[in-house]
Amino acid sequence: MKRLLGVALGILTAIGGFVDIGDLVTNAVVGSRFGLSLAWVVVVGVVGICLFANMSGRVAAVSGRATFEVIRERMGPRAGLANLTASFLINLMTVTAEIGGIALALQLASGVSYMLWVPFALIAVWLVIWRVKFSIMENVTGLVGLSLVVFAVALFLLKPDWGSLASQALNPSIPSGEGSGVYWYYAIALFGAAMTPYEVFFFSSGAVEERWKVKDLVQSRVNVLLGFPLGGFLSLAIAACAAVVLLPAGISVTTLSQVALPVIQAGGQLALAVLILGVVAATFGAALETTLSSGYTLAQFFGWSWGKFRRPAEAARFHVAMIVVLLAGVAVLATGVDPILVTEYSVVFSAIALPLTYLPILIVANDPQYMGKHVNGRAVNIVALIYLVIILVASVAAIPLMIATGAGA
Amino acid sequence: MSKAKPIPAQDIKPAPRPAGLVLDAQLHLLDRQILDVDGVPVTTVDDVELSGPAPDEPIPEGAEAPHITGLLTGPVLGTRIFGGRPPSSRFIRIPWDMVAGVDTVVSLGVRANSLDASWVERWMRDQVIAKIPGGRHDPE
Repeated sequence: MKRLLGVALGILTAIGGFVDIGDLVTNAVVGSRFGLSLAWVVVVGVVGICLFANMSGRVAAVSGRATFEVIRERMGPRAGLANLTASFLINLMTVTAEIGGIALALQLASGVSYMLWVPFALIAVWLVIWRVKFSIMENVTGLVGLSLVVFAVALFLLKPDWGSLASQALNPSIPSGEGSGVYWYYAIALFGAAMTPYEVFFFSSGAVEERWKVKDLVQSRVNVLLGFPLGGFLSLAIAACAAVVLLPAGISVTTLSQVALPVIQAGGQLALAVLILGVVAATFGAALETTLSSGYTLAQFFGWSWGKFRRPAEAARFHVAMIVVLLAGVAVLATGVDPILVTEYSVVFSAIALPLTYLPILIVANDPQYMGKHVNGRAVNIVALIYLVIILVASVAAIPLMIATGAGA
Repeated sequence: MSKAKPIPAQDIKPAPRPAGLVLDAQLHLLDRQILDVDGVPVTTVDDVELSGPAPDEPIPEGAEAPHITGLLTGPVLGTRIFGGRPPSSRFIRIPWDMVAGVDTVVSLGVRANSLDASWVERWMRDQVIAKIPGGRHDPE
């Protein structure tokens, strides 16, 4: 019974933890402009994140080594440092976007400008990182984040034409009035939002934090293989809500309140309250994960002591690094830059940086010195290689498309 | 100036297999994580110190093969990436006697706090982290 509860808890937190500000904004933007014609990208992205989260979790459980230790060890200091720089900057962008997301959700709840909520969000995130146990942090934000199911409920209440939604999703075509360049630019953004590299840093470091052993691999696989696809369904529900309400009205999403419009229309104030709770939990959880991820990447590259299972004094540089990252994120927000804009760029840059993390993981997952008999099977490797090609194409195409389309304008 | 006579390729004998543990410096040592006896990360391996004749000295016949005398670490990433050689004062040495094992990590038989290599960590702890309330408590 206790074991079953553990499994259920793991799945639920994986669902609630899947959606972050990147998924929220990108899915709503895409739904409001392209309907469900990019739904296939979410499916491709979810399969990809399942594959690589599983692989990095397995590497961490079997060898006890988290992603960035492996990256430095296998790529050497030069390529490793270049990788660290890129990953760290994108992570910082994501931290900024998530803290902005918390503040925007609180603005939606209170009417007080988000700028005034930013310091509050900063202190709350830091306090949790400083004092709260890893498992409690994960479970609480994941479970409360489940309130985002309100998007799926709202979709039913809106009584959409299911046939037309299904045909948009199953026979994707570029809507009239949108160029093919823009379509593919948003395809990459959506792919980057689903497969954000920080999830892999976080997942592998989290496996070390929670002291996974080989016998825990089955449970982690169940969490990932059930939780992430269900999280993907939440992403699709966000896009579908936007497709049903915002697309016909000609509203393209530029603010968080527009993301909430379909939910308000379907369920009124109560639904909005649940939505805000869900958005705060999801962005707060993701702010914790990205802040920790930047600490993890730095500490693992330089060989510092790290981890929330230690007292802060026993992982001093790790904690100093995270304080600096949080302050840097808030400094970026203090310039008045629009957090939604930061989010939109962060998901595209995530897509650009994907090969940097996935290739080393794939190599080490095949290295018997690290993995013993738990190396990748042939089927996993075939799928992983197909994904490597997709990731490389998305990564190479992203910047030209960004320039050609004026970042999807 | 007389040139050394080249040795024909077929006369080069394969190196004799040395006794003891054989490690590939690049593959098994450089950039590996070093953990202390309690499993606490200390640093990474940046260079390896070898015994043997000093550079530019003739090697006497039958001299003992060089062996590892220590692992080197320290703020030397710059020269490792851009080339050149840092002043040797920059290196922090971990004597090879302290190494308890080499696997996917290099494990030491001593505590991190007893090592020079962890002075930055100690400094950050004492000057910054320990001064913030709760810094010495377990997370709850």
